Amino acid sequence: MSTVRHHVVIGSGVAGNQAAETLRQQDPASRVTMITTSRLPFFNRYDLPRVFRGERDWRNFIIYPADYYRKNRIALRRATKVVAVDSANRTLSLEHKETIAYDTMLVASGAGAYLPEELSEFRPLMHGFGGFKDAIRVADALPEGGHAILLGGDTIGLDLARTLLDTGHRVTLVAGPHTFWPHEVAPEARPGFIAALERMGIAVIEAANRGGIAGIAQGAQGLSPRSLTFRDGSELHGDVVMPFFGITPSLDFMLGSGADIERGLLVNPELRTTNEAIWAAGDVCQIWTASARRYTFYHGWKNVRAMGELAARNIVGAGEAWVPIQDESLILTPDGRVHSPFWEYQ
Amino acid sequence: MSTDIQFAIIGSAGDGTIAAGDILRRAMAEIGYRVISFDLYPAEIRGFGKCIARLRVTSEQAYSLKPKSDVLVSLDDSHAIPHAGEAREWGAVVYESGSVSALAEGSHMSAHIDPGQIPYPLRIRELSEKSTGSARSRNIVVLGYLAGLFDLPLEPFLKALNSKFKGKADIAAKNEAGLRAGHGEGRAAFRLDDIRFAPPPAQGNGAKVEMISGNAAVVRGALDAGIANFFGYPITPATSIMERLAAEMPKHGTRLLQTEDEIAAISATVGAGFAGARSATATSGPGLALMAEMLGMAVIAEVPSVVFVSQRGGPSTGMPTKTEQSDLNMAVYGGHGDAPRIVLAPTNVEGCYRVAGKAFEIAEAYQTPVIVLLDLYLSNRYETVPFPAKPPFDPDKSRYADTRGGPAGFQRFALTADHISPRSVPGQFGGMHVATGLEHNELGRPNDQPEMHTAMSRKRHEKLKAALNHPDFTVTKRFGDEGKVDVGIISWGSTFGECLEAMIAARSEGIRCAAMKVCMIWPFPVEAVSAFMEDCGQVLVPELNYQGQFAGILQSHIPRPVARLAQVPGAPMEVEDILCEIRRLAAPSGAGADKQAV
Repeated sequence: MSTVRHHVVIGSGVAGNQAAETLRQQDPASRVTMITTSRLPFFNRYDLPRVFRGERDWRNFIIYPADYYRKNRIALRRATKVVAVDSANRTLSLEHKETIAYDTMLVASGAGAYLPEELSEFRPLMHGFGGFKDAIRVADALPEGGHAILLGGDTIGLDLARTLLDTGHRVTLVAGPHTFWPHEVAPEARPGFIAALERMGIAVIEAANRGGIAGIAQGAQGLSPRSLTFRDGSELHGDVVMPFFGITPSLDFMLGSGADIERGLLVNPELRTTNEAIWAAGDVCQIWTASARRYTFYHGWKNVRAMGELAARNIVGAGEAWVPIQDESLILTPDGRVHSPFWEYQ
Repeated sequence: MSTDIQFAIIGSAGDGTIAAGDILRRAMAEIGYRVISFDLYPAEIRGFGKCIARLRVTSEQAYSLKPKSDVLVSLDDSHAIPHAGEAREWGAVVYESGSVSALAEGSHMSAHIDPGQIPYPLRIRELSEKSTGSARSRNIVVLGYLAGLFDLPLEPFLKALNSKFKGKADIAAKNEAGLRAGHGEGRAAFRLDDIRFAPPPAQGNGAKVEMISGNAAVVRGALDAGIANFFGYPITPATSIMERLAAEMPKHGTRLLQTEDEIAAISATVGAGFAGARSATATSGPGLALMAEMLGMAVIAEVPSVVFVSQRGGPSTGMPTKTEQSDLNMAVYGGHGDAPRIVLAPTNVEGCYRVAGKAFEIAEAYQTPVIVLLDLYLSNRYETVPFPAKPPFDPDKSRYADTRGGPAGFQRFALTADHISPRSVPGQFGGMHVATGLEHNELGRPNDQPEMHTAMSRKRHEKLKAALNHPDFTVTKRFGDEGKVDVGIISWGSTFGECLEAMIAARSEGIRCAAMKVCMIWPFPVEAVSAFMEDCGQVLVPELNYQGQFAGILQSHIPRPVARLAQVPGAPMEVEDILCEIRRLAAPSGAGADKQAV
């Protein structure tokens, strides 16, 4: 029987890659397999707005060259979807019916864009911004000086808005409860931040002031490609409509695994789930915070990377507890602009 | 921008792998690209065993397949996984995304795609079943996908498909549905690879460019040269020569007979040659061994006859579906007594056409058997070939005697200045003579006196030398740098294409390099090869046999050290292997040949 441990990392984002690298360093003799649904190797999501500055070659977005994975003996399985985890037998099943055995598993599958149920029927008419392909499709759909309508307005969307303005596009934000997510902005501070967005050049429409969004339609011939209708009957026309309502953890495959799930995978401060062989890191998990007596999501690449590293260290026995390292406060800069620490990436 | 894209389609026997490669190469040729392709398939007929269809699509002339493919398609992961590394960095790997049965860890293609390769998972089976009602069109779905993915016009694919299933409208219609289903998926797929097709080159000069295999080119050459009779017995990889001739010869009013064995085939070929008809047979190494005795008869009776020999891995049954160049010694020397014959070896598909046609001329001009050495790689390789508008072959060049003067003894084997005797055919008034396997005098009557045997032996050997100057036949040809070079490559047969690619690569690295192909191996062109070697600091002889048979023949004529690169992988030689040898030989320390010099 083999004594080589097999560490499986699900997800190839910031947390997953940091974990895989740490596992390789901390347990040199082990097998490390990283599984991702993406066809691309680890790329810099924070850099995607560069697509609107003309950068179209995805290879210029990848963080590590192919050789990095070869040298670190990290088996990278792309375009591969995990559909179930059998924690009793420590195996996971892939969509194409392959079974993989693991000794330890780290779930770092991240999160996908959240779309409110009332807008779900309009999904085909909206442009996502979750990956390189999405970014290219938005760039293709948005003409020079074109008009982008952003719904919700989480920090990912607001970051994109800054780039779109810089590249000569028009941006209208249809604001609502998710604006500035994941920052929690006090009601009294909100008008100041909204005003700051307008100073930055973003046209802001409070959806609630128009009764909410009634629907999205294909624009009539000769008009803009998309038409947004509010419940008060008013309309807004643009080239693309993009939802930015925050994110929701990607962990369907963990249902039935035996690990407890609330909104995300529940982990203790060592980032271990309720199953002893399964850890989690990144946007997918809620960490027990003893002081607040609740499970908490932590966002931002610094936090996520630290989680990946900590989980990996704990997998090999470090026994260390999570301490958030990223400032999560939304800032109004001296020149009256909005700034989020989540926009910073190194 | 030019196009240079290689596809490798890998599957199991029965998956339609070879058929997919065939349709793809026809479509590419129809679009206007140059194509060179070679299929590998198992010895078994159906149901298991690995099949690989590789094709290189180019704007400019290419001489061999590339070591790495730009696009790798898996129709069967169990066979394709060992070849996963064949797709180049940023190349595309297309594979079945689903599975009908549970898979053990590592048995799906996705587990073997390198981080530098681009995965293209595709629901191949599902698309086939939905569009055609069965999974049998998976290969066609993939072709449609490739066409859509790389933005290639669908029409040439449809044309190739309909041609493939001509007369089977129902099957063609189903496959068209599969093709269109795959095409739609390909169009919708998000491209991440860097594979780009440039517009095909404009075609000019009036030559008709056709996609054709080596064996088909041999058939075309034989037909254009006016072959009147063919006798054969099936054997891989020569069988398709007979199959194609069987389809074509009746249209020309000529005759083909499948004999009971190879001995009968060569006997009938020699008999028909004796009667004055252009005749040939085709076989492989084991068949040539059986023909050895009758070839001796053709030598002593001075009967023109042509034998196409497509080599495969041996000895004995050996590796019937793997290529090798190991029948050279048998072709040149194999026989009893001093039995010289002419041995020709084309180096590419166009050469197959020209050499096949010329073989008849040469056999008649020098009244001797001619062996044309092919091999599985060359026989089964497809290339786009520009055929001349008018066949470049002359009618019978035999020196037929005017025997109308009467029945005085006709000296069929007269000793002449050029060692070639006047010839007559049976029934020719005044041309009657004895044709026998016994040593004979000028009249053909048995004579075993030492002086006569010596004179006749000299005649049979010396007459062949003139073939080295046969009109319009390329005996040898030099490529690459002129004048003195660091490394000269001398090679023959199908391996020469890889040599040429290696030479081009070496020159691009700054190595002074030249290559010589030898198309007439016997009589050995001593003068031309010797002159070439004079220019070469080091000489490299790559070939696909264990002994270095060609190098051995060369050195029996020109006693100078050469570096032998003799391999028996059962597959074409890798360009990189030749290039490595060139680099080693060209290194400043020099004399890399010493270790391998023989």
